[in-house]
Amino acid sequence: MAVILVVDDSATMVMSLSHILKGAGYEVETGMNGREGINKLGEGIKPSVILTDLNMPELDGIGFIKEARRIPATRFTPIIVLTTESGGRKRDEARAAGASGWLTKPAEPNQLLSVVKQLMPNK
Amino acid sequence: MSAALQNDDRVVFAILAEQVSAMRERMDASTTFDLLWRTSTLLSWLSGLLGELSRSNSNPVLEKERIEAVAEIGQIRKSLDELFFFQAQRSDFARQVADCVVISLGRIAAEKAPLKTNFSTHDLEGLYVSSEQRDIHNAVVNKYLK
Repeated sequence: MAVILVVDDSATMVMSLSHILKGAGYEVETGMNGREGINKLGEGIKPSVILTDLNMPELDGIGFIKEARRIPATRFTPIIVLTTESGGRKRDEARAAGASGWLTKPAEPNQLLSVVKQLMPNK
Repeated sequence: MSAALQNDDRVVFAILAEQVSAMRERMDASTTFDLLWRTSTLLSWLSGLLGELSRSNSNPVLEKERIEAVAEIGQIRKSLDELFFFQAQRSDFARQVADCVVISLGRIAAEKAPLKTNFSTHDLEGLYVSSEQRDIHNAVVNKYLK
């Protein structure tokens, strides 16, 4: 079963995203900020796709993406940014850090699953 | 409380910051989310039970109703999931706005010098994390520009 790592500092968002992704047949791992996300990767989790928020305490989304790209196992893992930011500057920053896709909130479950499916390796 | 303290804007702002902060803490743990979550889980459970029933059911009328019930449960679950996801995102946005207000009020309350020289609209812009916040900000600024 494909694993998806969800990194968001909102407990409600994490719960909701996990519910939708599990309902679609994915296994879900979670982190409440970028640091927790990196720690999860350090524990040996190998997600097929990573979903991350941008604005989080301790280590934000951009920092998380940069660190994740330094880890050999996730160097090429698709990373989707799910955020309320729709501005071009932030988007460029995330892309430069290594983000693969972008989903602006509010999004619908179908949009989310469609982007995940699109970026899922060996789909 | 002394009159000086009562009339101190910074104390007022510090209290407001705490009030909004208290409201923010409640945003992620509302009973609505809990109820949505439990209902969706219950429906999933019921759907599973109805699936099990089909194995021991030989009555065609009941079987037809069972299939309809499973389909209906599926539709309701889908709607609940959408509602849950939408509410979670709304809550996230409200939390971000609350964060901005708490930080701004906290900074104003902590300032020693006259307020207007220490916190500008530019400082506020630095706290935004969404385009919606910037849109609200710009709408207010534009009103004053007219």
